[in-house]
Order: sequence, then structure tokens, then C-alpha cells
Amino acid sequence: MMKHKPKIVWLQAITCNGNTHSLLSANPSRFELLLNTFDFFYHPSITTEKTLDDVLNLKEIDFLLLEGAVTSNKQFYQISDSSVTDLLKKVSKKSKYIISVGSCASYGGIHAKFEENSDIKGLQDTLNIVELKKLKQPIINLTGCPVHPEWILQTLFTLKEFGVISLDMQSRPKDIYYGLAHHGCTRNEYFEWKVEAKSFGHKEGCLFYEEGCRGPMTHSNCNRILWNDVNTKTRAGMPCIGCTEFDFPRDNMLETKKNIGIPSEVPFGINKRAYLTITGVAKTFKIDRLNKKLIE
Amino acid sequence: MKTLNIIERIEGEAKLVCTWKENKISDAQIQFLNFRGFEYILNNKPALDALIYTPRICGICGQAHLKATAEALENIYKSINEPLYITDKAKLLREIGLNIEIIDSHIKWFYIFIMPDIAKLSKEQKYLKYEALKGESWRKGTYAASESIKALAVFAGQWPHTSYMIPGGVMSDPTLFDIITMQNYMDQTLHFLEKELIGTDIEKYFSFDSELDLDTLNATLSDFKNLCFENDLHILGKSYNSHITLSDTSLFESGRIEVKNRLLVDLSLIDEKDINTFKINEQKKENEYTWAKTALYNNKPYETGPLSRALISNRKLIKNIHKTYGDSVFTRVMARMDELINLVFITKKLIKQIDLSQESYIPAKIDLKDIESATSISTVEAARGSLLHKVTIENAIIKDYDVITPSVWNLGPGIGDKFGIAQKAIIGADSIEKAHIILRSFDVCSVCTTH
Ligand code: SF4
Ligand code: SF4
Repeated sequence: MMKHKPKIVWLQAITCNGNTHSLLSANPSRFELLLNTFDFFYHPSITTEKTLDDVLNLKEIDFLLLEGAVTSNKQFYQISDSSVTDLLKKVSKKSKYIISVGSCASYGGIHAKFEENSDIKGLQDTLNIVELKKLKQPIINLTGCPVHPEWILQTLFTLKEFGVISLDMQSRPKDIYYGLAHHGCTRNEYFEWKVEAKSFGHKEGCLFYEEGCRGPMTHSNCNRILWNDVNTKTRAGMPCIGCTEFDFPRDNMLETKKNIGIPSEVPFGINKRAYLTITGVAKTFKIDRLNKKLIE
Repeated sequence: MKTLNIIERIEGEAKLVCTWKENKISDAQIQFLNFRGFEYILNNKPALDALIYTPRICGICGQAHLKATAEALENIYKSINEPLYITDKAKLLREIGLNIEIIDSHIKWFYIFIMPDIAKLSKEQKYLKYEALKGESWRKGTYAASESIKALAVFAGQWPHTSYMIPGGVMSDPTLFDIITMQNYMDQTLHFLEKELIGTDIEKYFSFDSELDLDTLNATLSDFKNLCFENDLHILGKSYNSHITLSDTSLFESGRIEVKNRLLVDLSLIDEKDINTFKINEQKKENEYTWAKTALYNNKPYETGPLSRALISNRKLIKNIHKTYGDSVFTRVMARMDELINLVFITKKLIKQIDLSQESYIPAKIDLKDIESATSISTVEAARGSLLHKVTIENAIIKDYDVITPSVWNLGPGIGDKFGIAQKAIIGADSIEKAHIILRSFDVCSVCTTH
């Protein structure tokens, strides 16, 4: 007998398709396992056999994944003649789990900055949870711009095996978002001893003090589960821009906002005055090793 | 008779409205109905934030947009006579990054998006391996793409959506072992191309001068060729056969071709028209049917993309195929695959040229904030063709940002009695499946088309 493979339906609303390409860039054997374990029933840019009509005719969807922000405004955005909101209202009622893939689907993200359309938001603010009778747990937000492919895989496999996962206040899986992007960054030692990067383009130094790095205020595990199995932005030298948080994108993402030379936001959960005291003390240590080039 | 089809799997959605006469398409209207308004979004944002925003215009062409933004901002400095000094190392890392993204895009486009459709035209069992999600070749394609993109993550941190390029250089500082790792990933990609796509080693491939050479091999390209010839795709899909490439790289030369003549490009002759395009906050007029605009050069339509690039920079195999089969689907797709093979080859060379002793980034002497007002243009070759960014800033705040994407050249609506490039190519097709494939031969991206 064929084992039941849980059905995945992936829909796209206002998006750049970045999350789709992130998924396609997943570790290949993990991706293959995903395809073998689940029934990837529909994805607008990947599947060829099924159409949106087939999705609408389904009685039940195990996992409904949405990529992109939601709007009810058909003038700017429509999917097969329906407004995004109408379509989602129909499909969500059949779904056991609903997952917002990416910061746009979760909060509106970068697309919500298009002010000429005043109705761009995340999925959670669109659906009325009371009407979703089949839903087995609150809508899950997998934030990130784009989302890390492993987060999608881990979430799907965990739900398949265990049925529920615990979520934080923002409805994000705690297992992913309990820590900060900062954890695991190869520049952590520079951060501790307050050694700032001389400028962009160096392995040495932390990007928190000048370059705007949001690692210490951003919930994600990028620096523990590496991107493309290889690296992360902060390791490579690009500051974290906080793309997993609700306020992404902010203004001036590549510089650190300061008051009288002091970063105006300090690491998550730390008292500002205490932080400044530590900074002062740390800066008195002149650690040669940290002020030299790593490879001479 | 008129038919309306929704076209999926083009990075978004489009509608194709065809008029049929004697079982052939006599008129075709391509409608892109979704609009995200990036040019509006960029207004009044801090200039450097554009490095974060523009890559998100497109989840697959992010590096092209990033490079265009970084270089447009650098050209602002040039425009006030304070050019920045960019080291060769930084220039190489940018070009390599962009090339890897195009390599990834071409592999995915071919194996994930177009081969499943072309294979479906045949009932033969042996083509089942190209079936989406299940087919062995489909899976090998996704495998190869995700392995090749790792070469970019080595120095850019991740893909998609990294912004490691910045006016003045790049943010990363790779080691020699990073360089070797990048080489290794490119070698693996090359191995995939030799084994799966071409069916022979690259030196032999470079000695090919006609499509007949493919017949001796047994790999995806020969399957592709056979499917094309069985279904007239070597005859279908012809447009104006006028071509444009806006920028130079190690592989491409800028220029344009019109009736066999190769000519120079003058960026000031490029114009974006919106006659048939919806406007924001205005009642829609009867002739307005799409969010796509139309890019014209000297008031004429030009095709942009791998075929144009191959012809303008004189790549032998594609030149010869083009001589016989014109700008057909077969030639256009072959050009994209030929570009893929050449890009992997040249990118390996470029990686080797990096001089690690140079700086990655040299900060500007003048703060953007101190530049009262300036406008500049940059051009970049993206996977689908030439990309142009034009930006005006005032004291480091964006006052105007205009993006002309490759898809606007190829897929924008025709004007008056002049068809658009893809529109013209579709006319004459005898089935909707073939019309879809013709459209797809342009590597359609609806998010890029309407941005
Ligand atoms: S969350 Fe980011 S990657 Fe995703 S659709 Fe939005 S902009 Fe694109
Ligand atoms: S660069 Fe960013 S993530 Fe890394 S240690 Fe510094 S603040 Fe943390």
C-alpha cells in the first residue's frame, strides 16, 4: 500500500520569488528527501501537472504555504482573475497547517512599502482564524527575506512527525527564532572586545559599531545553519539587515545610528547604561591579536 | 476566434490572448497584470538602502540589480568629477558573482522551466526524465544549480538576496582557500555540463561549429535538438532579428545588430514608452492592457538576452546556427545554453585572476550626503538580457529611480502597428503549447517585466 504523503500547496502573492529560489538552493539531498516525503501538489512556478483549479477542487490541504504579501486590490495584483485575499480565504479553509514563507507573507515586508496600494499586509492579518476550522495550530510565520531553506524543511518535517511546534509571540517557531543572528558569527570576539571593523571589505572587526549590523537584535539562526551550506552575510562581511523582524526594511540599513558616537540601540535584552559601561571597560583592553590582520 | 490562456511558471503569471486564423495565431497580446511598484518604493529612500531594495526586484536576478545599483551610485561620483577608485579585485568579485547567478539561473531555467514543456510535446518514454519534480534530469538540474550557487555564497555570504557590493568595492575579503572553494564549485558545475548537458568535454564542445555536431552525442542538448526539430521549434519563434546588448563584460560586447550590421549603442537613444501600460491613480484607457512598459532604441524594438549577446560578441556556434535557423526558439535556447557553458569556462578564469593583496573596498572621500543633486546611469548584463538603472539623488536621498529590465525589451507591448518582440515571435504558431514555449524561450519573468 502507498503511504499517505502529506500534500503541500505553495501559493505566491506579491513576491520577488526569492523564497522559491531559496528553497531551490537548499541542500540537494535534503530537497530530494522533501520531494520524496511530501506530495508537492502545486507550486505556480515549479509543478506542471496541476493547475490552480485543481487546488481549488481539493478537499483538504495538509500544508498551505504562502510566499509574498497579501492584497485585496485587484487593480495591482491578481491571481487567475481572483484577488489574492479572496483566493486565500477559499484555500485556507481546507488547510490543516498554514505557513507564511518569508517576511512579506508574514508582515507585508518590502512590498508593504508600496504606498500607492494601501492594502498590503501579511497573511495573519488577512485571515480570520475562527473561520479556519481545520487548522491544527496558529498560522506559522517563517520570517526572513528570503527564508532559509532549512527552516522550511525543518518546519514541514517536524509538523509531519510531531503535529505541533511551539511558537514565539510573533508566531515564529521557537526552535529557529530563539537565538539571534549574532550567535555563531565569526566576528563575535571582535564584538565582545568592541573592536570595530575598519571599514567594509575586511575579515577583521565587528560590523555592529559602524556598518549597521543588526545581528544582536535579530532573531534567526543564520550563523548556525549556514546559507547554501557555506556561509552567512556577517561572516562574509555584510551586516545583518534584520530581515526576519517585523520592522524590515528599515531606513539606513548599512550604517549604525548613533548618539554622540554611541550606538543608539544596544544588543537585545541588555540595559543600555550597563552596556555602555562594559563597552568602556572592554575598550581599555588593547588586544593586539584583535587589532592585527588575520593573515599577514 | 480568440483564446485566453493563463501562463504560469514564468516567475509570476501572465495572460496570453491569441487571435486565430486558419489554425494559426494571427495576433497575440501578452498581459502582465501584477505590479509591485519598486520605482515608487525607492522614492525618498536613503540612496545606500537601494542596495538592499533593488535585489528584491527579482529573486533570481538580485545580483544584477545589486551591481546596477552599486555602479549607478559610483557613476554619481563620476558625474561630479570625483570618480571612486575600484580595485580589480572588487571588479572581479562583482563580475564573478553576477556570472554565478546567471549560471544558476540558466541551469534552472532550462531544466526546471522549459525542458519539461518541450519534452511534453513528445509521447516518447525516454523524455520522461525531464518531467517536473519526478524526472531524473529535472532533479539533476536542481542539484547542479544549488551546488553552483555555493560558489557565490563563499564570498557573498548567501544567495538569494545578498548585498555585498557597495560603491567603492565589495564587502567581503576572501582567502586563498575561498578562491579554491569557488573554483571547486565551478569545476563541479562544469562536470555536470559536460556529463549531462553536452555529453562530451568542453574542449570538444568549443570545436563545434554546427548543430549537426550535437547529433554525435547523447545528452540533454541532443534530446533538446531532436525535440525542437520534431516540433518545428527551429522554424517557430522568429521575431525582428534585431539585437541589443548594453554593456561589456569579459564575455559580452555591447552593441546592436540590425539587418546584419553591427552598430554602436548610444544610451541616450533608449526610451521607455507606456502608451499601452496601466498608470497609477488614473482611470484605465481602452488601449491599456498590461503593467509592462516598452523599451525602444531609437524608436525601434530590439531583442536582448543570450542570443543577442552571442551574435554581437560573435560566438561561432550560435552565429552558425543563427545563419540557418534565424532567431527561432531553437537558436534562442541554444544561445542561452552556449552562454551557460562559456560563462562557467570564463568564470573559472576570472576567479584565478583575483589578486588577494588588493583592497576589497576603498571608501569615498566625499559623503553622498554632500552631493546636492546628481543623476547617473548604469548598465548590467542580467540572465535575461540588458538591465539599466537610472538614479537621481539629492543629498543621498533618492528622488527618482528608473529601472529598464531585459523583459521590458523582450516582453513589453507593441506600439501602434509595431508588435513587441515576443508578440511578433508568437504569431504563426499552430498550437497554444508551442506559443507557450515560444514565450518561454525569452526566459519570461513577470516580476522583472512589471517591477
Ligand atoms: S520576504 Fe523577501 S524574499 Fe520574500 S518575497 Fe518578500 S522581498 Fe522577496
Ligand atoms: S558582525 Fe554582526 S552578527 Fe557578527 S558579531 Fe558583529 S554584531 Fe554580531
